Amino acid sequence: MGNDCKHVRIAIGAEPHAQSPEVTAHLATCAACRQFQAETVALDGRVRAALELPLSKFRKTPMPARRFALAASVVFALLVGGGVWLFRPQSALASEVVEHVLHEPGSWQRRETVSPETLAAVLAKAGVRYNPRLPVMYASPCPFRGHIVPHLVVQTDRGPLTVMVLAHEQDGSNGEFTEGKYHGVVLPAGSGSIAVVAPKGQEFDGALKAVLEGTL
Amino acid sequence: MNPRPRGTTGGSPFARLLEMLRPDLVRFAFWLARDRAVAEDVVQETLIRAWKSREELKDQAAARPWLFTIVRREHARLFERKRLPTVDVDQVEALGDPALASDGDAGLEDLRRAIMQLPDEYREPLVMQVLGGLTTTEIGTELGLTQAAVLTRLFRARNRLRVIYGLPAAEDADG
Repeated sequence: MGNDCKHVRIAIGAEPHAQSPEVTAHLATCAACRQFQAETVALDGRVRAALELPLSKFRKTPMPARRFALAASVVFALLVGGGVWLFRPQSALASEVVEHVLHEPGSWQRRETVSPETLAAVLAKAGVRYNPRLPVMYASPCPFRGHIVPHLVVQTDRGPLTVMVLAHEQDGSNGEFTEGKYHGVVLPAGSGSIAVVAPKGQEFDGALKAVLEGTL
Repeated sequence: MNPRPRGTTGGSPFARLLEMLRPDLVRFAFWLARDRAVAEDVVQETLIRAWKSREELKDQAAARPWLFTIVRREHARLFERKRLPTVDVDQVEALGDPALASDGDAGLEDLRRAIMQLPDEYREPLVMQVLGGLTTTEIGTELGLTQAAVLTRLFRARNRLRVIYGLPAAEDADG
């Protein structure tokens, strides 16, 4: 094998589907290099198939630890929805979230931020991760539908927002809801859902946006 | 607010584009991180960055390489920010990761494991080229390499896979 063959094969190995005029000219006269190219193109098809991992299997395996890239998931939910809220009938889940908020009316009255240690303890107890950059005014590990979930209140420039990370609620596509004096949204987040609630009348979109941007 | 029935394909063209490309972004992130949870995190960060920077994308035809570039940068940023431990290749294999499995095609599964075992310097440009569709020039720009260096790495990556695939290795550039 001459130097030409060596250089041609390196070029083919680097870009099997792109051929310079020099490579094309060489292939016209060299059967061995044509075979090398055919093999490499075939291999490349297999490589492409190999790289296209089956995402269904990807998602079935349980994670060793639950991970919640909270804001990111919510933003993606908004993106795939085209930046609009999903219109859905009032769900039982939304009602239970509001009911839970009603049971802790003092959570929106807090004036001091929760320490990082307390927040970490609450999140650890629920087995979720969340790293809000907005001040957390309230954090409590609350029983909800048979699980311990973090019940948080974050302070935005529009007012307080309740955030409940519902890691065990798989079908969080419940969308926007209004119930009594409260307005909220339940959206998919990570492998579960997230519920965000604010007092009705409080500018909600802007507040939610502030929460999301605060966690970027 | 603008209510829209669930299940429609509504939304901006950019949102639909992200939705369409997301599976390959997850795959790319997985090949970079070799960890599924990290890959999901990286892609979520990527989607946020992409959404905020969507004005930068002038030509939708360039969306794929543009998003792959963001994935790669977010992956690097995540490791830098969180100082995540690197993943031991043998450990990944020992887990018998189902993402590498292939129903009834043992050869494909072997190839996946072989790709997983490639050194980062070879695996990364290969995945960028084959899965991301980046040109060698774009790969060189992203990795800070000359085009000749990119070509050499791509050749060596495939040369290693040839052997796994039962083909004779080609003579290397240094050979």
